[in-house]
Amino acid sequence: MSQLTIEKPWQRWSIRFGVFVAMAILTIPGLWVVLTAFRPNIEVLARPAVWIPQNPTLDNFARLFGLSSEQQGLPVAQYFINSLVISITSTLVAVAIGMAGGYAFARFRFPGKGGLFLAFMLSRTVPGVALSLPLFIIWARLGLIDTSFGLILVYLAVNIPFTIWLTDGFFRQIPVDLSEAAQIDGCTRWQAFWKVEFPLARSGLASAAIFAFLTSWNEYALASQLTRTTASKTMPVGLMDFTAQFTVDWTGMSAMAVLIIIPALVLTFVVQKHLIAGLTFGGVK
Amino acid sequence: MPHDKGRNRIGAFMRSPAATPYLLLLPAALVILSVVLLPLLVSFWTSFTSYNLTRPATLFNFIGLRNYQRLMGNTDFWWAFGRTIIFITIALNLEMLLGLGLALLVNKITWGQRTLRTIMMFPMMFSPILVGFQFKYVFNDSIGLVNNALFDLGLIKQPIAWLVDGNLANFSIIFAEIWMSTSIFAILLLAGLMALPKEPIEAARVDGCNPLQVFRHITLPFLMPFVYIAMTIRSLDVARAYDMVRIMTNGGPAGRTELIWTLMTRTGYQNSQMGMANAMGYVSIILSIVFTFYFYKKLVSARTFMGGAQ
Amino acid sequence: MAEVRLEKVVKRYGKIEVVHGIDLEIAHNEFVVLVGPSGCGKSTTLRMIAGLEDASDGAITIGDRVVNELPPRARNISMVFQSYALYPHMTVRDNLGFGLKIAGQDEALIKKSVDAAAEILGLEPYMDRLPANLSGGQRQRVAMGRAIVRDPDVFLFDEPLSNLDAKLRGQMRVEIKKLHQRVKTTVIYVTHDQVEAMTLADRIVIMRDGYIEQIGTPTEVFERPVNTFVAGFIGSPPMNQLDAVVRGGKAVLSDGVEVPLGPDHKVSEGQAIILGFRPESFAPKGHSLHGEANALAIERTVNIAEPLGTETILFADLGGLEVQGKMLNPRVVKEGETLGFTLDLSKLHVFDKASGRSVSA
Repeated sequence: MSQLTIEKPWQRWSIRFGVFVAMAILTIPGLWVVLTAFRPNIEVLARPAVWIPQNPTLDNFARLFGLSSEQQGLPVAQYFINSLVISITSTLVAVAIGMAGGYAFARFRFPGKGGLFLAFMLSRTVPGVALSLPLFIIWARLGLIDTSFGLILVYLAVNIPFTIWLTDGFFRQIPVDLSEAAQIDGCTRWQAFWKVEFPLARSGLASAAIFAFLTSWNEYALASQLTRTTASKTMPVGLMDFTAQFTVDWTGMSAMAVLIIIPALVLTFVVQKHLIAGLTFGGVK
Repeated sequence: MPHDKGRNRIGAFMRSPAATPYLLLLPAALVILSVVLLPLLVSFWTSFTSYNLTRPATLFNFIGLRNYQRLMGNTDFWWAFGRTIIFITIALNLEMLLGLGLALLVNKITWGQRTLRTIMMFPMMFSPILVGFQFKYVFNDSIGLVNNALFDLGLIKQPIAWLVDGNLANFSIIFAEIWMSTSIFAILLLAGLMALPKEPIEAARVDGCNPLQVFRHITLPFLMPFVYIAMTIRSLDVARAYDMVRIMTNGGPAGRTELIWTLMTRTGYQNSQMGMANAMGYVSIILSIVFTFYFYKKLVSARTFMGGAQ
Repeated sequence: MAEVRLEKVVKRYGKIEVVHGIDLEIAHNEFVVLVGPSGCGKSTTLRMIAGLEDASDGAITIGDRVVNELPPRARNISMVFQSYALYPHMTVRDNLGFGLKIAGQDEALIKKSVDAAAEILGLEPYMDRLPANLSGGQRQRVAMGRAIVRDPDVFLFDEPLSNLDAKLRGQMRVEIKKLHQRVKTTVIYVTHDQVEAMTLADRIVIMRDGYIEQIGTPTEVFERPVNTFVAGFIGSPPMNQLDAVVRGGKAVLSDGVEVPLGPDHKVSEGQAIILGFRPESFAPKGHSLHGEANALAIERTVNIAEPLGTETILFADLGGLEVQGKMLNPRVVKEGETLGFTLDLSKLHVFDKASGRSVSA
């Protein structure tokens, strides 16, 4: 594109200015929260506003983990562990189940294929809030309320359809010839899958896993209704607790926000190339 | 023994190659059946009962269409419903336009584009509840970023009550929603722009099109499938806005930012009227399905349309 | 030892039948080419032999086993795909050795077989590269190497040269032929290119619409095509085919030209026929292939001349169509020039117009 139109200097500068403003809007709110996480509370309330932290501190994080004497800590460590366990387990299982489904859609012709695919996709459109109402009733009867298992099961259902959609796209990109060649080379269909198709789909599966992890890690609507105590509460629910337990503890909440964003941030940067590929795949080709 | 025979036939089918795709899909289907379909049936049932959380026996108190009738006559519900549709419409359209603008701008920049793309992905990894908290803070009237900045620039003398005034609160949640989701459009459209084949553009320029005409007749039609992918992905997730609104205003002030999702949870959990809440839930499900289905259809037809050119 | 035998083999997709009960016997070490236009069922037939598609009916025998129910891996075959189907995540060495590794052979033996195949195909310098870093010709070689390494009973080739440019295709054709002389094995080779079929095959199987039209050596199918389809498909440029009517032992063309038919052609008075002759049999006087002892002289104006160096293709009107002639030892011919052509009467092909079948002996 850039070679197609000859830009005048004022055009180039206005493009740069536009990009700068957009990036500022995208980054400054997050940066503001991160800065707050390292401020003492007085600085937040100060008039006139203090922009650059004058006395950076780790107190807010210490407080979260109950390491500070002045306040009863929230069980954030436990929330963090719950979140990790629930997200990772549901991601691994969802990717395994979703991969099987995606492979079936990519490689087989069978009666009811179109309808089944649509049904899976439609199941994903059900809003979490709407689903939480009946799930609450059923989970209560089954004794699954406030258990990690109950939440993992729910996140499976949330993540499987999207995983199917993505892996279907990825497996389609791998020529059928390869699996056939492997079968002629002496593989069973099962071996052909694990030795040839699976290794080739690995980067796609990684991106499916990231999406599943982010969805579980960030989910609030369902978790807020299906968890009760430290036994299964996740980080987003814990963040909301802040508003209930204290007046509003901006610095504490900011510190917790930082804890929520860090794993997501790290994961996303590690595989960002695959993320875009993953999003465009199922759709375009 | 016709029963045994039937079982044998099923057994034989399960061992035949024709069963493979069904076996592969079985785990996925079981999960969806038990965690989505079964609850939907339960909520469908409860939407015809006067089920109240505090009185479990009412789960079997069938009252026919009364929940739906009361819903039809409930102005609060209609306000929330209408507001939700307007909210979705404004948000999706603005996100599309801003995302397109951002993609076009970033596409023009050659140096540091990777970094820019990374920054663009930033909001995508934010939990909606985090986005809500962030903007609750940013728009806070006494210590928020926006008011602080306006004070320091000398533009205001009195704090602006972003989240307390009804109109401003609606503006704030739409702003937060757009902040959260414009990236999806920008990133997908940027990917589209980068995949744009050169030849048709060059052909159009040789045919005498000016840059605006090239954009209108070549670039934009090519980008449409990408727009619809983004729209489909977005409409799958519109209800994520619930988390954000929940923490920012929770429907307040005085119900001025109440969306169908916040009203539903309030009715179900706080007022314990599960039957009524599930009736609302069904309305919201249909809403989501309609939006998603509409864009998915558009996507499919745009794709077949493009198929001829590629 | 592996003969391959197809008996009444049928392929159906749902209700649509694409291969209609074909019979074919392929001898041990024979190089058989299945050729035909796209959609003729040749690839489907090959894939049924490979076991990648189930035969809907009939029996496929490899060696002395009926293989219908066997999966591909149990048929002791190897196959070269049109796309080569190299495993992108494995080096050339691993690609070549994959089949043996799956079979659980020990490392030293695998290395020996792989090195031997690499030597035959000249792949030694590339053994540690990934397929993505190879040229088209090299990929093609790896695909063949992978097939050789397994020392199969039957080699299957599915349009292996169609992704190569014309020059490379010619080279690889020769290499495949050499390879067959070296590793004596039964080969079944599918192509849509009749030149490949003619140059490579011991026997050619010409297919159309799921039927076998003719089976024969390259000479047989060229010299004695059984119908107008085979006549038109084999040979380049294609055989000229003109409508004619039999009158007094002569074929009368629509423009009144009378071509005497010899006793070899079983025709009856008044029969509607198609008269076929190859461009080689229609040449200007003094430039023909077979001499002009038994030839009909026809004077014609040249519409277009295509000089190809050793020969020139001439286009002229005859019997209401534009026919092609071939001028050997050519001189410069101008368009619009009138030449005295000779039509070699010993090389005529006569087909019944109604059935399209050959009536020539």
